[in-house]
Amino acid sequence: MALSEEELARYARQISLPGWGEEGQSRVSEARVLLAGAGGLGCAAATYLAAAGVGELVICDADRVEPSNLNRQTLYRDADVGKEKAPVAARRLSEINPHVAAKPLVARIDDGAPELAAGCDVIVDCLDNLEGRFALNRIAIATGIPLVFAAVGGLTAYVSFLRPPETPCLECFLPHLKAPEAPPVPGFFAGTIGSIEAAEAVKHILGVGETLSGRLLVIDEAEPRFDVVRIDRNPACHTCSSLHG
Amino acid sequence: MIVYLKSGGALRERLRPDVDHYTRRLEVDGTPSLKEILDGLEIPLVFVAFAFVNGKFEHLDYRPADGETVTLQPPVAGG
Repeated sequence: MALSEEELARYARQISLPGWGEEGQSRVSEARVLLAGAGGLGCAAATYLAAAGVGELVICDADRVEPSNLNRQTLYRDADVGKEKAPVAARRLSEINPHVAAKPLVARIDDGAPELAAGCDVIVDCLDNLEGRFALNRIAIATGIPLVFAAVGGLTAYVSFLRPPETPCLECFLPHLKAPEAPPVPGFFAGTIGSIEAAEAVKHILGVGETLSGRLLVIDEAEPRFDVVRIDRNPACHTCSSLHG
Repeated sequence: MIVYLKSGGALRERLRPDVDHYTRRLEVDGTPSLKEILDGLEIPLVFVAFAFVNGKFEHLDYRPADGETVTLQPPVAGG
């Protein structure tokens, strides 16, 4: 896909990155990404994916904007309280970058339907509950689409790039524990982690750098401490073991 | 043997660190698993999602070696 002069100007500061170039920008502009969730992680990830020029963003969220969202969900304004998140987010993303097709999908990922991810190059986990994440994990396995996993609570976060059977799936390493509901999440931290998710998605699309395949990024912002931890496939995993060679 | 448990977030207060803000030094008998160590400290397992040692993810059935530092991580699921 040839880029217009306007696009070349808009993306000049990323096209100049080694490994990106005009060819990479064309790949980004033709990519399709599913964002599961348009909350704290989703607003940040979607914003930077739109700014980067990802061609199509499918924004999936069934919730409505609440006042307590406004400290971190930066696509929403006071006047959006009560409105469905997905359409508002899609509209704001189109304002950020008119070259991006931002498509709202008012639906719950928990329904587990692989059709939600049809045609996507990568899925970005921006959910706020564990069971939804496991459903998204099953969708990723069923479709063979890589999944950028992230979760945040307080000043602790985890991020990984999952593509079984080359990597573990989510159930290989994450236990079914009950995490605190409505945990504290400062906006700057959700923004940080959502941005890292956007980076993982774009690195995969471009084929530059290394994703967090086979690794878990563990962040404790309070200390602060950043660790990259090796994670292995579980050969007995009941969710992805059928994929193992 | 001596084991160092390190943690951040909500786990830190339960761990009662005594080496620095995040680390607790423990003297244990035998080669207990992390699960057994946490039971001994009366830290409910629901507060620990996983651990890592020397850059490698470990589940709670892991048995630390003498002198190892084990970092414990809480479950988080927000977004």
